[in-house]
Amino acid sequence: MLIEFFFPMPKAVTDTNVTLRSFVTIVSATALILGIIILTISHLRKISRQESEWYYSIIYIIALVITAGLGLTGVRNTNFLWIYNNMTAPIGVALYSLTAFYITSAAFRIFRARNWSSAVLLVCGFILLMMLIPIGAAIFPPVVPIGEWLRSYPSSAGFRGMIIGTSLGIMGLGVRVYTGRQKEHMGIREERAEVA
Amino acid sequence: MSLIIAGRALPLVLLVIIIAAILWYMQQAYSGNVPKLRRLNAVDVIGEILGRCVEMGRPAWYLMDTVDMTTPSVLAPTVAAFQILSHTARSAARLGAKFFVPVTQGLAYTIANDIVEEAYRAEGKYEYFDPLGTVMYLPDGADRMYIINHMWSDQIAGAFFMGSWYHKAVIFTENAARAGALMLGGTDTTHNIPFLVAICDYSIIGEELYALGAYVSQDPTQSSSLAGQDIGKYIAMALIILGAILATIGIDISSIFTM
Repeated sequence: MLIEFFFPMPKAVTDTNVTLRSFVTIVSATALILGIIILTISHLRKISRQESEWYYSIIYIIALVITAGLGLTGVRNTNFLWIYNNMTAPIGVALYSLTAFYITSAAFRIFRARNWSSAVLLVCGFILLMMLIPIGAAIFPPVVPIGEWLRSYPSSAGFRGMIIGTSLGIMGLGVRVYTGRQKEHMGIREERAEVA
Repeated sequence: MSLIIAGRALPLVLLVIIIAAILWYMQQAYSGNVPKLRRLNAVDVIGEILGRCVEMGRPAWYLMDTVDMTTPSVLAPTVAAFQILSHTARSAARLGAKFFVPVTQGLAYTIANDIVEEAYRAEGKYEYFDPLGTVMYLPDGADRMYIINHMWSDQIAGAFFMGSWYHKAVIFTENAARAGALMLGGTDTTHNIPFLVAICDYSIIGEELYALGAYVSQDPTQSSSLAGQDIGKYIAMALIILGAILATIGIDISSIFTM
């Protein structure tokens, strides 16, 4: 796949790559089934031992049986889609919307001038906030060009530096994995006292 | 037909140079010539967080947000997070800390389970590993309520946030902070780095996520690869300065990027 990125390859090679990528999807789907089985066993154990909040596990089992049962009859099944559209999706959206409240409390935690660096963050954050809200420009018009400058230059420069560093980190990780020096991600940890 | 796809000749040259530098430093380390590296604070922080959990008798959680291993941009930070998980799980087993790893993707779950199981076995503490509870599969979407609720009910004392983080970074770290957990956060997802840095007690940013895994591996050939990456940084700095000078004096070199 790396070679395919740099060099033009015959169709047979690109087709093989597509097939290999589909293997990943199949393995991933199989692992998903394994995960669901183990989660179900975990909940059944919780019910049988009547551990704390075991009654929620009954809800899980009922939801799993109904949803999986309907899903197995076809993903276009009307009842299955009703569950997804009217229960799963709204719950997901509601939980996602919580982010706004947590960002507010996180901002309260961040924007405290405890030292020189946090004071810089506080001032920059305040300028950008004023730039983005309509009343900010009405009260103090220069806040818009100052905010744009902060966003376009110091902020972009910092982020690009971060991206360069991350890309180099990924290269190093790739080399370590492909040379077989890093195996911990496969659950293999070797004692390496032999190397000085 | 051209030999190299248009616009990819320069990236290929740079990739070869950087990989060669990394391999050279790894080979040097294998020969016993280990370069001096700056020690990351996060290495000591892992032990500090787990030690706190043991003292307080409360659990430590290791969370990875998006672990979709079929997405290339997520795969790299996930693999890095797995490597840190290996070290953290082993330290937790050795110190006797209660350890919990929720995972939201099937493939990542099986790998994380193997890593933690192996860590407990390596430390001779396999009896403390719960095959159904230490690493738990939580379907994506349902995980948020489970994690928020249990952070409070379990009164976690320590939490690690590693890997590729998106909107859950704010939700989980804020809850962990309010529950009184000591936290170490690390991600390469640029737009969520500020939240982890601001909310977590300790943080590793960008490439440090990859460096920490190599650092804690106790393998000099792995940690030496970090010195090879620095060659890439020097090249990047030189190109940035050169580009700024050329752009200032009005010389257009954009054609070499389309070669």
